[in-house]
Amino acid sequence: MMRIGVFVCHCGENIGKTVDCPKIAKEAVKLPNVVYSIDYKYMCSDPGQNMIKQAILEHKLNAVVVASCSPHMHEKTFRKACAAAGLNPYMCEIANIREHCSWVHDNVEEATKKALDLIRMTVERVKFNYPLSEIRVPVTRRALVIGGGIAGIQATLDIAGAGFKVILVEKEPSIGGHMSQLSETFPTLDCSQCILTPRMVEVYQHPNVKLYTYSEVENVEGFIGNFKVTIRKKARSIKESLCTGCGLCVQKCPIKKAPSEFDEGLANRPAIYVPFPQAVPNIPVIDRTVCTYFKTGKCQLCKKVCGRDAIDYDQKDELVTEDVGAIIVATGYKLYKIDKKARDSLVKGYGEYGYGKYKDVIDGLQFERLASASGPTSGEILRPSDKKQPKKVVFIQCVGSRDPSKGFEYCSKICCMYTAKHAMLYKHKVHDGEAYVFYMDIRAGGKGYEEFVRRAIEEDRVKYIRGRVSRIYEKRGKYIVKGEDTLSGVPVEIEADMVVLATAIVAQPEAPKLAQTLGIPYDKYGFYAEVHPKLRPVESSSGGIFLAGACQSPKDIPESVAMASAAASKALVLFGNEMLEREPIVAKVNENTCVGCFYCKKVCAYNAIELKEIRDKKGNLVKVIASVNTGLCQGCGTCNATCPSKSIELIGFNDEQIYYQIKAL
Amino acid sequence: MADIISIAKSIFENQKAEMIIGYAKATKEGRTRPVVVRTLDEVKELVLNSFCLNNLSTYLTRKENKGKRVAIVAKGCDIKAIVQLIAENQIRRENVYVVGVKCSGVRRGFEGHDSTKIAEKCITCNVKTPHLFDELVEMKGEELPGTDEKAESIVKLEQMTANERFAYWEEQFERCIKCYACRQICPLCYCERCIADKSMPRWIETSPTKRGNFAWNIVRAFHLSGRCIGCNECERVCPAGIPLSLINRKMAKVAKSEFGYESGMDPNAPTLIGTYDVKDKEDFIR
Repeated sequence: MMRIGVFVCHCGENIGKTVDCPKIAKEAVKLPNVVYSIDYKYMCSDPGQNMIKQAILEHKLNAVVVASCSPHMHEKTFRKACAAAGLNPYMCEIANIREHCSWVHDNVEEATKKALDLIRMTVERVKFNYPLSEIRVPVTRRALVIGGGIAGIQATLDIAGAGFKVILVEKEPSIGGHMSQLSETFPTLDCSQCILTPRMVEVYQHPNVKLYTYSEVENVEGFIGNFKVTIRKKARSIKESLCTGCGLCVQKCPIKKAPSEFDEGLANRPAIYVPFPQAVPNIPVIDRTVCTYFKTGKCQLCKKVCGRDAIDYDQKDELVTEDVGAIIVATGYKLYKIDKKARDSLVKGYGEYGYGKYKDVIDGLQFERLASASGPTSGEILRPSDKKQPKKVVFIQCVGSRDPSKGFEYCSKICCMYTAKHAMLYKHKVHDGEAYVFYMDIRAGGKGYEEFVRRAIEEDRVKYIRGRVSRIYEKRGKYIVKGEDTLSGVPVEIEADMVVLATAIVAQPEAPKLAQTLGIPYDKYGFYAEVHPKLRPVESSSGGIFLAGACQSPKDIPESVAMASAAASKALVLFGNEMLEREPIVAKVNENTCVGCFYCKKVCAYNAIELKEIRDKKGNLVKVIASVNTGLCQGCGTCNATCPSKSIELIGFNDEQIYYQIKAL
Repeated sequence: MADIISIAKSIFENQKAEMIIGYAKATKEGRTRPVVVRTLDEVKELVLNSFCLNNLSTYLTRKENKGKRVAIVAKGCDIKAIVQLIAENQIRRENVYVVGVKCSGVRRGFEGHDSTKIAEKCITCNVKTPHLFDELVEMKGEELPGTDEKAESIVKLEQMTANERFAYWEEQFERCIKCYACRQICPLCYCERCIADKSMPRWIETSPTKRGNFAWNIVRAFHLSGRCIGCNECERVCPAGIPLSLINRKMAKVAKSEFGYESGMDPNAPTLIGTYDVKDKEDFIR
């Protein structure tokens, strides 16, 4: 015999103003099987919860309906209150009379009637509830961090520091990411490498960290707490265990003219190379696309000079698998390349700026290399074309950002600050030089950021012009920058020696592919999506997969580091327990009626449907049917809607519950 | 090209299958019936002519045949059903030996039932030479007259307003007696427990009422959209004469025009239902 209690919440005025709560409490008690009903101003408050607990005990309730806000808000609160009074928490259901009723209606009489309907439906539904218990899954207390930039490094160090093993995978030959390329960092102008490289070394030396460089995540199986990751170790052509990093091979390599990725093409590197002096690990890699031996079968100079016989031309890609419980994705960003060759099909681009055509029209990362003491010019600002000192430099902001017609709609966020920094660094190095900045708005929100921009304008005399540039063209060795000063409303023409474009931050081109491997959502630009923009900003919608840094949206260093530490702490929360408890709201297959058409498998966004063989007593195969991996299932219900024979149900939302809920209307 | 009997013999002699599902002469002249041949002695029963109207692939998913090596005589249209069954994991390609029929068209009905005309489905047929088979056999047929009258009725359907269309189908479905012949004959209605038979709760009323009839026929149409291969068997067996293929063909037309999808052509092609692409159109949903 069902003994149901109905608890009606006023939510202050939120519900109480539009719905006559005392009246529906009086009406609800007349519903079949409802033995108790009461209304209260704030059901979620301590006294409100106590009312539920007391009523369960006094009236021997075996099911509870709370008419209140969305179950997203307080379902957990009320279920816990029920559990405290000894009732199975899944015998408590919420009738949403706020978002579904009071907030969207203004007629009191009608809204009251609807609220009562919603309660009646939930009462009918709860009659088909049955006690459920949490699903418990074991947790592998090791983490995988994908991406060895500053975000990945930070997350790795945090988790390793807490005493758990971390596997760090970086696709480039060295960790360090974009931060290792930067000269100085805003707003303090401290040397980027000086603050980064100690962290890189710490990662390398940490006993809890297993580092895979020049490696990529190939495949991910499993679910929260229990991932199985396949990592492709790309062939470095070097036996890592033998190499001492002496660098002799790099010196002797006859190929000298391969464009350096680290120097953004402003300098060259050999075919066998270490990306930069402080690289971690300090082990070279052979670029097989330019190496003479790989192209012609002759040379082998590096092999001859290597005293340790560490060169291995026959090395092949190696696949290794690792078991982890949490994954942190920190794959970072790329700069939007606006030259014709690499133009993104998503946007129209900026051919009129001559990037890729004029050697002295460069992007932000190239300027970082020019300004860096470890860069191709040892920190002297020189034009890439003729190595002369530019006396007039124009910086253009928002190239591709905030431009729905030709570029991307979003703001790349860091360009206002790094352009101010660039202009400042230029003025510090070229005292008689002139720096102009074309901007749309200056977005300098952040600690010390506004002061930094003011310093560029006031102390370093950088000339800021509010307006866009329409065209750049070459004239007698100068670059004519045509634009508009929208504050004074006049056209501007500047004869520049060099132009620096603050091109938009874009997602890694392979970001969607990795997202599909991981089963996490991404937006139309390829940035990974968080579950909730405010309250769950570092979690992906797949359990146990967390996001850090610019792979989620454009971010500066402090934000990336903060996000990385937040993601690490989320992983540590997971590792705090040996077993993981999760809601039992998962799909369940009726093995008698399933015919194994596997449409459920096709529509499942979480790869939660597996194949199961049904055999008779003699071991003969009777049929192959669907089976739900309860670790992966997120309880979305798509499989239920798809199954033609209704052979798969969502526990807690089963057919009977839904049917009688509808029928009560 | 060998005839059907010698092909059948060689199937048994070379142990290519345990049984052959094919057509045999019926008791009356000008009719055929499905037959399952299990021994070399029985193969003489097999015939192949323009009265071979049935889609025999519906027998492939019968419990007694599942998992066995079965040979089947199948026209191009029937093979579409076989392709769809492979795509939906109901049969394994290696378990079915397809004797594909090079077909010039079958008759609209049996002797005395509109048998002088060619079946409508044959007029728009794109698989007269089968697209998947292990062996080919030619059907000796004669030129049959006929028009694609049904194609016109799709046009009529599309010209109706939503309300008119609703009224039209209400009137058609009213005749349904819930005999479920359409389901039993359909090669793609292979569920062991049909949603119509689900009780606790019962989603579809079983009694032949207006509401129950509507629910059944619309649910069946939904379940077949993007799957129906247009063999027309449901309409052929319907004792109430409901134009069931019309609704299925309309769904297939939408699948083709909006998603470029045609069921039963390629067992490895992603299925229409259960495949998502960001470029999928939604503008036809009104």
